[in-house]
Amino acid sequence: MALDLTTSLAQLFRRLAFGATSSELESAARAGYAATAASLIGGLTQPDPGADAVALPSFTPPPDDLAAIRSDPAARRQLEVQLAEERVELMSWWIARMVGSTNPAREKLTLLLHAHFPTGISKVRYALYMYGQNQIFRTQGAGDFAALTQAVSTDPAMLIWLDAASDKASDPNENFARELMERFTMGIGTYTQADVRAAAYCFTGWRFSAHTGQFSIAAINHSDVPQTFLGQTGITAGSQVIDLVTQSEASYRFIPSSFWSLLAYPTTTSSQVVADLAPGYAANRNMAQLLQAIVTHPDFVSTTTGNGLIKQPVEYVVGTLRALNIPATALGTTSLRQLVNALAEMGQVPFDPPSVGGWGQNTYWLSTAAALVRWRFANKLAGGADISLVADSAPSARVEATGQLLSIPTWSSTTASKLRRAPDPATMVALALVAPEHVSN
Amino acid sequence: MDTRPEQPSSDGVQGGDAIDSTRRQVSRRRFLSLAAGGGALGAGMAALGPSAWLKVWDAAGAEADARAKKSTAKAALGSSTGRTLVLCTLYGGNDGLNTVVPYENAAYAANRGSLAIDPKTVLPLGDGYGLHPSMPKFQGLFKDSKLAIVQGVGFADPNYSHFESMDIWQTAIPSDPSGTGWLGRWLDATHSSPLRAINIGPVVPTVLVGDRIQAASIAPGPIVLPGSADEQSLYRSLAVTSASMPTLHMQAAASCGDLLEVDHVLGPILNRPSSSNANATAASAASLAIANGGGQSSAGDVLATQLSVVANLILADAPSEVYSVQLGGFDTHADQLATQQDLLSELDSSVSAFLDSISTTSRGRDTVVLIYTEFGRRISANASAGTDHGWANVAFVAGHRVKGGFYGDAPSLTNLSEGNVIYTTDFRSLYATVLDQVIGVTPSAFLEGKFPQMSFI
Repeated sequence: MALDLTTSLAQLFRRLAFGATSSELESAARAGYAATAASLIGGLTQPDPGADAVALPSFTPPPDDLAAIRSDPAARRQLEVQLAEERVELMSWWIARMVGSTNPAREKLTLLLHAHFPTGISKVRYALYMYGQNQIFRTQGAGDFAALTQAVSTDPAMLIWLDAASDKASDPNENFARELMERFTMGIGTYTQADVRAAAYCFTGWRFSAHTGQFSIAAINHSDVPQTFLGQTGITAGSQVIDLVTQSEASYRFIPSSFWSLLAYPTTTSSQVVADLAPGYAANRNMAQLLQAIVTHPDFVSTTTGNGLIKQPVEYVVGTLRALNIPATALGTTSLRQLVNALAEMGQVPFDPPSVGGWGQNTYWLSTAAALVRWRFANKLAGGADISLVADSAPSARVEATGQLLSIPTWSSTTASKLRRAPDPATMVALALVAPEHVSN
Repeated sequence: MDTRPEQPSSDGVQGGDAIDSTRRQVSRRRFLSLAAGGGALGAGMAALGPSAWLKVWDAAGAEADARAKKSTAKAALGSSTGRTLVLCTLYGGNDGLNTVVPYENAAYAANRGSLAIDPKTVLPLGDGYGLHPSMPKFQGLFKDSKLAIVQGVGFADPNYSHFESMDIWQTAIPSDPSGTGWLGRWLDATHSSPLRAINIGPVVPTVLVGDRIQAASIAPGPIVLPGSADEQSLYRSLAVTSASMPTLHMQAAASCGDLLEVDHVLGPILNRPSSSNANATAASAASLAIANGGGQSSAGDVLATQLSVVANLILADAPSEVYSVQLGGFDTHADQLATQQDLLSELDSSVSAFLDSISTTSRGRDTVVLIYTEFGRRISANASAGTDHGWANVAFVAGHRVKGGFYGDAPSLTNLSEGNVIYTTDFRSLYATVLDQVIGVTPSAFLEGKFPQMSFI
């Protein structure tokens, strides 16, 4: 069933950004769905003054005398403390950017790409490298996915995360080669173990400079034995492997399937929507165009999509802060750290996925432990935020005003009847924030 | 007795033309029975699902329900064997060959080269096997006959994927590892409460997710519900599922309803201050923060912390029969020696301390810890001083009343396939044994097929 304009616009802003304010929704309704979608997509390559107003912490490269530091317990401890501090500064910085963004589609795509290429600071260790990868997502994410994959693959964070940087010409490890195909580009079942071995040889000798992050290939460690990969003979370069996997028929279904699943509802590579999206994506692998095709697909503007996703914890936290008009500048160090802790207990810490498999699909955090933190977050926010839109409304109009505040055009009759019983505006908003309508995306 | 829930036909799935993901179908299936009417689930209150409880709760009022619940909780949750299962999942694929080391086998040293554990440092177990040097407590457990080591565990046609292999282990259905967990199906069959199984950490693993019931989860730290009495009462009324809700709304509401049940039954235990209680953070201090556990990442909570939460619940005779804890980081493609040493040391000290701490009650002495990982690693080391994804592996079963020793046939180190050791024991034999001996149910009701039981319990 197709959605009415207001509902479809509210959904568009939730999925492609972090929700909308009621005034954004009003002007979007005047512009119409297609123009609003085009405007959000256009933002993917535009600057973001709101997010850029968040000060960038300074992140330091590995010290030159790392070996000496490792053998000195006091110096080592000092480095650990510094890295732990930079880790939380990095997380706080990105959360503040998402909250303060005036071009939120770009920050949202950055988040989606982080979920697609899950890379964790627990192993990468240096915030500087995680920041570098994050910037690649932000600045190159809307373009050609093949070029993006080349950039991400030769960047320090991924080289460390999947052990490519420690490869040698003989008996290469298979970590990056396998996950590149299984998780990032083609999907399981579309390649063989022999392809994994062949690709691993092509990635041997991949290196980066610890200080500059500059990628290089150490010839002495690179295998120049020609490999047969995905049926192509004579392959020796890792860049050739990445070209082949990102420009494969399997990938032309896998990438549309992955991003449809992140934006609409979980699907598989054999679904009709993926068949609809694949030819357009195959033409140039342009991510902005793929997102445009997704949000303008008839199935996207439907109740199936409307009921298709739960907000991820980061979307929930950021979307709630934005809905309550809490500016990024109002978030001090302490509150940002509390948000990082809350996200940890909800099951999604940005920059720290549990594995290369990333976070679970969709409903993974509908657990009792996360429900408790969700409620505490809601209660805290509603008690402190400016909810005058609700408080200043006549008591009989407050439920509707709460919907306006959160861009929820309609409450179910069940939820509405419970909200109506709230003794005060703050309680009403706190309950609305944990109601299924707001937890859904 | 087949207690598996009915599977809906595909044309019974709303929007099935568009929603073809198996995972989505799982989440949809999860609440189908409730959508069909909770009243059909059972006659008595104790037999109703948790969300059905909450419907009654809402109608009858919180006070009356609290009384009813108190009197029925124990009966509903009572364990049939008095035993408790603790599942310990090692994510990433622990290298079993460097854990239970075949150090007298020439093929081991030849393949592993510089990654081979020095025979002089292994902790001998007999029969040519020894434990990794960082596992002295496990050696002690083995000598005391409290540790069973099951060799050659695996399944047919493994494909080296972390995620599919772990899904196979957790669903116990290698032919279609996209559905419910093997213990999720047991939870469904109990028709009772999510509290019969508890995960430590915010994300419930597939193994504990059924069609209708998902295990409860808790974070280390006290449980302090926020808000005024009014807010809590309204939260309770919002936490009610109804057949008219979209599936995801139902799941969101159910997580809130299940939380109230966790608070009601486990809150008094988890919030009790005690010197040995890892949750002893003052409740008043916790109520000031959003995060519950004072900032420690729950996904990253060390195994010892998770197990101390479990120990407290077992010692308090909490009404749960299954607990789940996890330790990650075993994907050692490079620089394996140091990483695995740290992880195995953590496993060794935390599991042994856990068993010590629960030895004072019969419930504790009847607790069985099952330790498994998604796959073993390749026998030959790679040039990055690590090992790649492999096939068969070892599993551990530990407990005061476990019959220690070696089980399963050790796989050959020379008859390999694609450089991998080949499984000799179907992993579902572990589950069949545990379902029968620990949980006290008919294994074939939850596993597709019959698998020979082992005698470690």
